[in-house]
Amino acid sequence: MDFSWIHDPFYQSYFWQGFVNTLMLVAISGFFGFILAVLNALAQVKGPRPLAWLAKGYTTVIRGTPLLVQLFFFYDGIGRLLPMIDGIRQSIIWPLLTNAFFFGCLTFTVSVGAYAGEVIRGAMASVPKRELETAKAFGMSSWKILWRIWLPRAIQICLPTLTGEIILLLKSVPLVSTIAVVDLLRAANIVRSETFLVYEPLLLVAGIYVALTVVLTWVMHTIEKNFPGAKPQKSALFSRL
Amino acid sequence: MSDSTHHSQFAENSQSCAPAVSVSNLHMSYGSFEVLKGIDAEAAEGSVTSIIGASGSGKSTFLRCMNLLEQPKEGRLEIAGETVEFAYSDKGRPVPVCKQVTRNLRTRVSMVFQQFNLWPHFTVLGNVTEVPIHIQGVSRKEAIERAEYYLEKVGMSDKRDQYPAYLSGGQQQRVAIARALATEPDVMLFDEPTSALDPELVGEVLNVIRSLAEDGRTMLLVTHEMRFAREVSNQILFLHQGQIEESGTPEDVFENPSSERCQQFLSSIIH
Repeated sequence: MDFSWIHDPFYQSYFWQGFVNTLMLVAISGFFGFILAVLNALAQVKGPRPLAWLAKGYTTVIRGTPLLVQLFFFYDGIGRLLPMIDGIRQSIIWPLLTNAFFFGCLTFTVSVGAYAGEVIRGAMASVPKRELETAKAFGMSSWKILWRIWLPRAIQICLPTLTGEIILLLKSVPLVSTIAVVDLLRAANIVRSETFLVYEPLLLVAGIYVALTVVLTWVMHTIEKNFPGAKPQKSALFSRL
Repeated sequence: MSDSTHHSQFAENSQSCAPAVSVSNLHMSYGSFEVLKGIDAEAAEGSVTSIIGASGSGKSTFLRCMNLLEQPKEGRLEIAGETVEFAYSDKGRPVPVCKQVTRNLRTRVSMVFQQFNLWPHFTVLGNVTEVPIHIQGVSRKEAIERAEYYLEKVGMSDKRDQYPAYLSGGQQQRVAIARALATEPDVMLFDEPTSALDPELVGEVLNVIRSLAEDGRTMLLVTHEMRFAREVSNQILFLHQGQIEESGTPEDVFENPSSERCQQFLSSIIH
């Protein structure tokens, strides 16, 4: 085992950049993906029929195609078509549209919106009807029931499943190394190509991912435990790795 | 000026038409199955009315019509100052009652359910203040004062910051009663409030309901607790197959029932 490269500031900076990009990708697409997922679930549960169909179709297409294909589709497909639009090269958003990191975030956001949307939709269906009926019986309007009772209860029910989704998201991140984003895998590949060491940099990547997953699981478990009205439960810290 | 006129009119009204609840010719169907076949009933202000009958007789449905959780297709309902006439369309479906009327009615008629139905993601205090703050527009401070008052009344003050999952069935039902009280309703509906409770927890809930009866609250109560119904009620309605088969004071109904079905029902329950 040869880990001497680890002391080289050049490789260190790549790994650091990969680490930061990984966290940013998970945070950004986790955040916007969650918002998209809620909208997706609402459209399916409560939306007018055309909107419900649209949301259903979106979910089906995204869940039915490989994430890597979607990444290429957004980056190589749409990313290459956009420059044909007149004047877009001069617009403010042009730097964003030439940025691989942006397309990584976009793809993951769309993916989370579909997968988590389906989870939230299922959770909304499993909130006991009588809790909603009680709110109705006290004169609550249907939008208020949605925001005060239905949605919070659904999130409470599906939090453990969402934890699983966000960990899957974390471990999808290496895919972006194929579209020229520096992530941890990309950093490892750079080390390999220059030192001809295969296993050592990959071991480091694996170690970092395990550590990130443990931390993420702990964070989500803390949120679950402190979610309003959570039932007392046994420690499940390592149960979802 | 106009305010005081309105007030005196209201006072006159409440004197001249004493019943707090008045129902006439109420019909209700699930699809083609007719559950209520023309109910006529009245409940005086401050009185307790118990609705008894075998399961499937329509008593819960009748109660749920009182706050429009079920929509009758024919008849007339006067409750909490609102008058609702029910009608049905050519296709036989009930015509929906105007949303505003429904909302007004529901904020003044509150219900206690068999399964308590507390909202699990709110604390006890959150459950009791939810309707005053978010529906009735009461200030948070006043809502909390109200909640504290009614939680005290049902003996649940010390649990105000607990979540429902940590409470026994009887405690949950007492909180549900406080939640219903905190909306300061004109009429309270109880839908088999003790049927989901373990036998040793029934007493604490019945005691709370009894104290409300003594306060002179207008209450409609669907129950299987015959002894309790007899003790607290001013009026008993016996429902059979969607109709009122027997009604009157507890003495009339329990001691001298004129209907044969009511006699059968009572003897099957009591003996």
